[in-house]
Amino acid sequence: MLKRKDQIYAIFVRIIFIIAVLCIWEYVARQELFGERSNLIFPTLEMIGSAFIRNFTVGYAGISFWAYIANSMKLLIIGLAIGIAASFILSGLSMVSKGFYHIFNLVVSIFDLLPGVALLPVIIIIFGIKEEVIVFLVVHAVLWPMSRNVLDGFLAVPKIYVEAGMNMGLNSFSLLGGVYLPAAMSYIVSGLKVGWARAWRGLLSAEMIFGIATCPGIGMFINQMRTNMNNAEMYATLVVIIIIGLVVQYGILTPIENCTVKKWGMTK
Amino acid sequence: MTNKILQINNLTMIYENNPEENAVIKNMNLTVDRNEFLCILGASGCGKTTLLRCIAGFEKYSGEIKVNGERKALPGTDRIMVFQDFNQLFPWKTVEKNIQYPLKKQGIKDKAKLKQLSDEALAKVKLTGYGHYYPYQLSGGMKQRVAIAKALALKPEIILMDEPFAALDAMTRNKLQSELLNISIEEDCTIIFITHNIQEAIVLGTRIMVLDKGGEIVIDEKNSIARPVSPASKGYGELWERLHSALYKNA
Amino acid sequence: MKKRILALVMAMTMMITGSIGCGTDKQETKTAEETVTLNIAYQYGLAYAPLIIAKEQQLIETAYKEATGKDVTVVWNQMNSGADINTGIASGNLDVGFMGIAPAITGVVKNVGYKIFTNLSGQEHCMMTNDSSITSFDDVINSENQIALVNVGSIQHIILAKALHENGYDAHALDSNLVVMKHPDGMAALESGSVSCHVTSSPYIYMEREKDNLYEIEEVTNAWTKDNSFIVGVASESLYENNKEVYDALSEGISDAIDYLNSNTEEAAALTCEFNGNSLEDELTYLQAGNYTIETNGVYELAAFMKETGFIEELPASYSDFVFENVTGD
Repeated sequence: MLKRKDQIYAIFVRIIFIIAVLCIWEYVARQELFGERSNLIFPTLEMIGSAFIRNFTVGYAGISFWAYIANSMKLLIIGLAIGIAASFILSGLSMVSKGFYHIFNLVVSIFDLLPGVALLPVIIIIFGIKEEVIVFLVVHAVLWPMSRNVLDGFLAVPKIYVEAGMNMGLNSFSLLGGVYLPAAMSYIVSGLKVGWARAWRGLLSAEMIFGIATCPGIGMFINQMRTNMNNAEMYATLVVIIIIGLVVQYGILTPIENCTVKKWGMTK
Repeated sequence: MTNKILQINNLTMIYENNPEENAVIKNMNLTVDRNEFLCILGASGCGKTTLLRCIAGFEKYSGEIKVNGERKALPGTDRIMVFQDFNQLFPWKTVEKNIQYPLKKQGIKDKAKLKQLSDEALAKVKLTGYGHYYPYQLSGGMKQRVAIAKALALKPEIILMDEPFAALDAMTRNKLQSELLNISIEEDCTIIFITHNIQEAIVLGTRIMVLDKGGEIVIDEKNSIARPVSPASKGYGELWERLHSALYKNA
Repeated sequence: MKKRILALVMAMTMMITGSIGCGTDKQETKTAEETVTLNIAYQYGLAYAPLIIAKEQQLIETAYKEATGKDVTVVWNQMNSGADINTGIASGNLDVGFMGIAPAITGVVKNVGYKIFTNLSGQEHCMMTNDSSITSFDDVINSENQIALVNVGSIQHIILAKALHENGYDAHALDSNLVVMKHPDGMAALESGSVSCHVTSSPYIYMEREKDNLYEIEEVTNAWTKDNSFIVGVASESLYENNKEVYDALSEGISDAIDYLNSNTEEAAALTCEFNGNSLEDELTYLQAGNYTIETNGVYELAAFMKETGFIEELPASYSDFVFENVTGD
């Protein structure tokens, strides 16, 4: 009963907060606090709202905004899938082989520091100018933080679970799936959160710098809107980015968390 | 099938990077009979936990450990360990699944059969109806009961218990002792039970050992006091004194 | 609890609106101060060479001092794109900006609040290819060949569209072949064979022309020559209306810088080569190859083309809507 009350309260304060932010925005926009051309660079909610609708109904240069979203999501999902799968495989191998662990640990430490955009020239030479370049940048964005979390999670698995597992006759690989993976779940979930956010941002910035006309994405759309001084459309696109982010957070990541670490009482 | 379920010959165990004179266990020889309830007493650092871990297959040692005449070097379901730590159950599985999981790994795939086995095991530790709970919803005593149920369900040759009740409050501890005693009488099982509580050893054990430094066996005798044992039982005081003086002779 | 949260939100609201209020107050006091500040934004590259001269020789400050006897503080900000400068001027943080003719036309049409106050330079633009079998647009349209250029809607993109249009193709026929990347990345991609074509400007075209295995598509070169406006200077309408003396000094300073560059090209190259990262010899060649003048050429024609092909949504009525009165050209 108390829990339900807490939830209502959480929703209530969030709604108040959002309304407050929107009110401030609208106040600043209507008062034209940024000078004579305020509405051009700081449009009202109404302008952003109609730009939002226009994005979807009209699009840009004959391409619907849905197509931009679809392109971005396609590259993002491919990149995320590869990045997450690779982080599990490589971290798993690190637990089985000590030598591999030492190398992989170093590789993660090095590559996690490199901004993907800085690698662009090298990646272009390797892949050419293809969608794969952006997929690669998404993989780069998600693989290292995810691997760091999975590795840390595996290392933090209490010895007693491992011994209990060994006692049941589990060996290296069944131990990995049967004990290490579920026991490291709280690390994995936070890795997913960080990895997802990094991948999403990595995708957008890659698309803003490196645009392929055959596969125009949301980042490229933002760039075009900025170039054309269509700031209302640009803010409307940011709203779409936020909405997609929230849908993933509350539609996918939170349920994963609720079905695992929360249900198992593994959160502090 | 021999009556000697466990034979330990010349067991020596030295932890990595330690000189030979620091051996935790030195040249130990021990035989345990089927259906024995062996309680091992010893001060901290006498090697009693190490002995259990060697039997379980968690440590590298020299010498030989045979179960039913077969040498064992790796962990296996014929020797199930019950740890002192309450958190030995997998938190991501319900009580029922914790019991069923190792059975499944043993090759039992039939769901109805698994359910029946876990229900039986839970009934033995008086936890019928708790199958769907997650470990975090249980008290420490309940978790230890589940761990015992998990061990019983596997029907191992030997159950190894490393001070399973040491972290419990006195009342729960007494209750669990009498339950374990009943289980050991009703079930066909061999238990090696480590404790540093003399009363516990006298109440539970059919055989009691006291270990000294380096795993030296200073007392090894059958417990002849009539069960159920209480402090008022005949011979209790003498046995207690003997064990106590052996335990504290260096102190 | 709820009351406290509400109070906190209220307090935050007041703080934020309050600080914005303070910001505008400060601006008002600033204009009232004795010394005037002129905020100028420019970009990197050879086409901006006169600005380095104006900056190093303090030509704007000198012109203002001679005309009024007072001092003006000129702040030079190097920025990355015309879009950034447009936002800066619209928000009132910048008074003057130098950018490609395409974003300047977009800015005027979008009513950012500025007009062109001078032309700065014209440069050659061309499309280079690494594939000798590509000799005309026919070899690229509807092919897998990719064309690197700096941005969609950039002057290079519009020149490409114009070249297509003038040769009887649809202006957007190559839009689906475009790949957006910066000039040096584009050059590297062209040389490594990652893309087939690169639409670029100086100094990259000079470097690419020197390579034996790169070929030029002449249609693009001829669509917009170095006699046409490439980089222009824009000034906010408020500067023109409220600070005419500063505006005049600005126009004079830039004009002086261009005169200096044209009459003393060698000294100018010595001054600018370091900033552009070229050897003195190369810098001199590049400066001589460019066309530095204050007179615009083709602005309205280009705007009309941009309207016709959908790069901008509206077209102002005449040339004078794009430029201040003192500007000559078309």
